Amino acid sequence: MDELGDIIQEFLVESHENLDQLDRDLVALEQDPGSREMLSSIFRTIHTIKGTSGFLAFHRLETLTHAGESLLSRLRDGAQNLNPQSADALLAMVDTVRRLLSSIEENGNEGDVDVDPVIAQVAACIEDPAAPRPGPAKAAEAPAAPAAGSAPAPAPAADEPAGAGTATPAAGAAEAVAAAAPAEPATSVAKVLAKAAPAEPAHPEETSVHAKRSIADSSIRVDVDLLDSLMRLVGELVLTRNQIVRGVNEISDPALARTAQRLNLITSELQESVMKTRMQPIEHIWSKLPRVVRDLSGSLGKQVKLAMEGKETELDRSLLEAVKDPLTHLVRNAVDHGVETPEERVANGKPAQGTLTLRAYHEGGHVIVEITDDGAGIDVERVAQTALERGVVSRDQLARMDSREVIALVFQPGFSTAKKVTNVSGRGVGMDVVKTNIEQIGGTVDVDSTLGSGTTWRLTIPLTLAIIQALTVECGDERYAIQQVGVDELVFVDGQSGQTIEHVSGAPVYRLRGKLLPLVRLDETLGLPVRNSDRDVYIAVLQADGRRFGLVVDRVLNTEEIVVKPLSGRMKDVGVYAGSTIVGDGKVALILDIAALARRAHLAAEAVERAQIDLPGTRAQDSRIERLLIAGIGERRVAIPLDMVTRLEEFPVERIERVGSREVVQYRDHILPVVRLASLLGCYDVEEGETVPAVVYTERGRSVALVVQQIVDIVEDHIEARSDLDDDGLTGSAVIQQRVTELLDVRRAILAADPRFYTEMPETMVGA
Amino acid sequence: MPSRQYATFEVADQLFGVDVAQVQEVLRFHEYTRVPLAPTSVGGLFNLRGQVIDAVDLRVQLGLPSRDLSVPAMNVIVSVDDEWVSLLVDRIGEVIELDDEAFEPPPDTLAGAYRHLIVGTFKLQDRLMLALDARRAADTTVPVPAQHSTDEGRLARSA
Repeated sequence: MDELGDIIQEFLVESHENLDQLDRDLVALEQDPGSREMLSSIFRTIHTIKGTSGFLAFHRLETLTHAGESLLSRLRDGAQNLNPQSADALLAMVDTVRRLLSSIEENGNEGDVDVDPVIAQVAACIEDPAAPRPGPAKAAEAPAAPAAGSAPAPAPAADEPAGAGTATPAAGAAEAVAAAAPAEPATSVAKVLAKAAPAEPAHPEETSVHAKRSIADSSIRVDVDLLDSLMRLVGELVLTRNQIVRGVNEISDPALARTAQRLNLITSELQESVMKTRMQPIEHIWSKLPRVVRDLSGSLGKQVKLAMEGKETELDRSLLEAVKDPLTHLVRNAVDHGVETPEERVANGKPAQGTLTLRAYHEGGHVIVEITDDGAGIDVERVAQTALERGVVSRDQLARMDSREVIALVFQPGFSTAKKVTNVSGRGVGMDVVKTNIEQIGGTVDVDSTLGSGTTWRLTIPLTLAIIQALTVECGDERYAIQQVGVDELVFVDGQSGQTIEHVSGAPVYRLRGKLLPLVRLDETLGLPVRNSDRDVYIAVLQADGRRFGLVVDRVLNTEEIVVKPLSGRMKDVGVYAGSTIVGDGKVALILDIAALARRAHLAAEAVERAQIDLPGTRAQDSRIERLLIAGIGERRVAIPLDMVTRLEEFPVERIERVGSREVVQYRDHILPVVRLASLLGCYDVEEGETVPAVVYTERGRSVALVVQQIVDIVEDHIEARSDLDDDGLTGSAVIQQRVTELLDVRRAILAADPRFYTEMPETMVGA
Repeated sequence: MPSRQYATFEVADQLFGVDVAQVQEVLRFHEYTRVPLAPTSVGGLFNLRGQVIDAVDLRVQLGLPSRDLSVPAMNVIVSVDDEWVSLLVDRIGEVIELDDEAFEPPPDTLAGAYRHLIVGTFKLQDRLMLALDARRAADTTVPVPAQHSTDEGRLARSA
């Protein structure tokens, strides 16, 4: 009995593989209905399943495949041509075969899968009444078989009245179309597809069929568990190698060093080879997509051509499994929301047939999978509108977002821009789930879209789950690892050059190229003793949960490949760790779950967002609290956001020197560009004393001085009644302390002093 | 007469024992990686021949102040639900064979954390051995039902 069990197992594995191929072949066949070779290949596959199922006494499977075989043999022999309804019938047969196989896999028998309607459907497609009737020996189809005789009439197997089917062309699932098809062939999905790519000559699948078979002869099946344990062992070896190499470097023994070097190389190669054994081409999950696109575009009345590039790109099989659903969802979404209807496309000067391109390639230790459509693109305005309506963002937040950030809102839970809810997408679940799933395996999703010309969704997926590129950092005498994929850049806060971590309503922020970056202090978040100085710390700029933030750590150590060890239940409960690993010296380091960390720290998001308003260049519509420095210039009062004030200084007038048309002052061994706000704002009759007060603003080593006449006050005020008089150098005015105060356009003032202030930023990257 | 072997160890001068079948190994170790935000009873993680093991501070589990892990500690590594976990103890004792008849339920006077973790007692010649429920002892999710709150443990740790 066990032996029979093995045979059945083998049969199932083989049949599933063949069916995947069959799906692709059938869809390809529709585009080139004359291909005998393709038909023969399909025929062979069905024939094999039929033969084996007969031997294994799976009678329903045998009867079903026999019916399919009868139709296929006629097609192959040219007795009749493949038309849409026979294609649908064959696909329906494949689906039923699959259901039977699953039932056999689960229960060991054919269960209660009903094969008769499908057999009738297939039989109805056989045009010649004299054709051999499917399964003549089986009593079951006796009533169905005569249907073959009345072929031109609508299929008797149709569950719904043929009239209803024809009245709603191309609506509903493939089966419904199939049933109605004889009466309304022009609206058939298949026909559309067949028309769509008539000129496509060669079918790559055709060649791969043969290539695959020959590969099968030279390969063996290995239990995945074995590969997993092999992978684990190699992981250990990598760690041990790291320790040996480190140890040998401390002993100066040339012979030993050479051996260690060799060990190093062999281990790397072994690691690579073992990883390769778990690799499968992405084609495995792509192979189901032509069918998905075909059925979906048909039911939506759209014409979509699916192109695939790089289907040989390989991924770890566990990752492949994890990517499957998100990928399918993105493809469905692209067909549903991306590609327009043929009418719309033609009206916009595009070919009626849309193109959906799947592209996979390696890039920097990751696999990139792109799903590109040449459809309508994402309407930023509509996304913004919807996000507001759904309460995904506030008007305030929206005002500060650039279009990229707005588009990224589609990843927020509860977001959907579908004009109407379809059965395909637009249920408000989806993109956020896609994002969560991809992030769970250490990947990222982003989207690029140009209105009118299309959208690209990009998945960045690690090559393997077990070994990842990680950044190791130190905080409070412990090391932590961060997945490299989430790290955008590293910034060293150099205390020497006056860079600091600032605070906005108590929340730490860092000014990164003119934008405020909310910070999370690792020590504080982890409840470690908090360091008392913010000088000379590192900020790892991270991307998680659609937000960008900086993680403040003591030191950045290096980037290395680490072997991820799963956490025990009690460690998972802590909620901020994604795993653990063993670093070079043999000690255990925890891998931080960045998204969880960000959530835990709450990121003081609102405070930071409020502060973002104070940045030059951004202007808020609503009233809010601002901290302002009020300076006097003649009779006028000018307000400068306190964030733009690094220091207040008094300069002796005679120390302000002229260099060409500009003024400078020597300040702390530097030459500081100076701008007099009085002349910038056009008040020339300003008296000067012996010294002038100046506002010094420093950003990453570059400073400017804004000379005012007097410092009046620092206020924290609720600013409203702002008029938008756009005077030169001002962003408007407001009533502060019952007096009209002009609001300085600080960015402009800075550029007046030093035109290259924002463009020439010193290098802040130390890695990443 | 049915008997059972117990691996014994001491925590706070009290002798404990666990079924020897559950014990994987015993070793002294010093390099623990602390796990911030974890329950105080989690002493840390360490690398046992490539495997990351959680070390559970039995002192905390018994409602006592937590252990100073900057000095080497004794690990009794037990297998609980197919997972290896280390119980941090003060001193390791012998493996002793005890008749099941010598087993007694925990005395009523035993209170708090002890009562929660103890399945029974054995009267040895000169002292009492408390048989520990390894699963409960390794379970850090249950709040320690003792007067010595976890706060005290935290203070002791950060000091």
